[in-house]
Amino acid sequence: MNGEGDATEDVSTTDDGDGLDPRGAAQLLAQTEREARRQFNLSPLWVTAVTGVVVPVAYGALWFSTRLQHPYSGPSLGVVALVYAAVAVSFAVSVKVYRRATAGVSGPPTKQQQVEGIAILVSFVLGSPVLQGAMKHYHASHAIVYGVIPAAAPLIIVGTTVLGIAASKADWRQFGAALAVVITGVVAAFVGPSGAWLAAGIGLSIALVGYIAADALRHRRGLLRA
Amino acid sequence: MTADSLDPVIHAPARLRIIATLAALPAGASLSFTRLQDMLELTPGNLITHLRKLEDAGYLNSETTGNGRASRTSIALTRSGRTALDTYTAALRDLITGL
Repeated sequence: MNGEGDATEDVSTTDDGDGLDPRGAAQLLAQTEREARRQFNLSPLWVTAVTGVVVPVAYGALWFSTRLQHPYSGPSLGVVALVYAAVAVSFAVSVKVYRRATAGVSGPPTKQQQVEGIAILVSFVLGSPVLQGAMKHYHASHAIVYGVIPAAAPLIIVGTTVLGIAASKADWRQFGAALAVVITGVVAAFVGPSGAWLAAGIGLSIALVGYIAADALRHRRGLLRA
Repeated sequence: MTADSLDPVIHAPARLRIIATLAALPAGASLSFTRLQDMLELTPGNLITHLRKLEDAGYLNSETTGNGRASRTSIALTRSGRTALDTYTAALRDLITGL
């Protein structure tokens, strides 16, 4: 076996199990598993927590800028720019976290994750804008084109995509969070153009808190097993 | 049950850390030698020695692509390696419970 480049053997530092008692081994095993999981984690808790703050602020701003509009005309350009900036930063952070977590990792599971990522990105980038464009083409009201569709459609389309991915992997934590997102989208579609932003923000926040709680519970169970 | 009943191939600090790190990857995924070395902070020679022992036991697979300095070695846990770690963990738990 060879490492990259020239690796010289240094067997003097080779160790064996002498002196490693069962408790020490269990601690070392648990500590190594925890550290490895942390380094390979594609959605670290801090990213989810920051998202949990950004989402209600962004949707809250969208709702706040439209709540008194009669007739509905859509969020102000400043708020829309702010939301797009938040989405761009979230995307950049996600790419950085993904690259760091998967550095040196290869094989079929990595390729599958990349395909899943592309599917989610396509559903996010194409889903809502295509529907908005079609509605605008058929002269639908601003309430539909700039309210109900952009608030509800991404949640239903992206949520359903993630729902399918989670089901195929039997990842029930992700499945539950995606189902909550889809239900949020369905509710948002029926509460009016301004209310749709508020419903989306509240529903997404609940889904994120649930996801964080399920993640914390899983970690706790892992620690108790160790 | 005594500590002697633990799999001696796994029951060594460096090898235990190697196999636990690889087990944290999804089944079928492999890790580059460089990343594994960075994560475990072992010297290349030391890591190679332990990887050989684990590979000889059938717990790991390694694959090298490219030549010279551009070569890249990927290491993956085999099915029997995962089973061996599960068995080792269960034995460890029994031992600790019995202490």
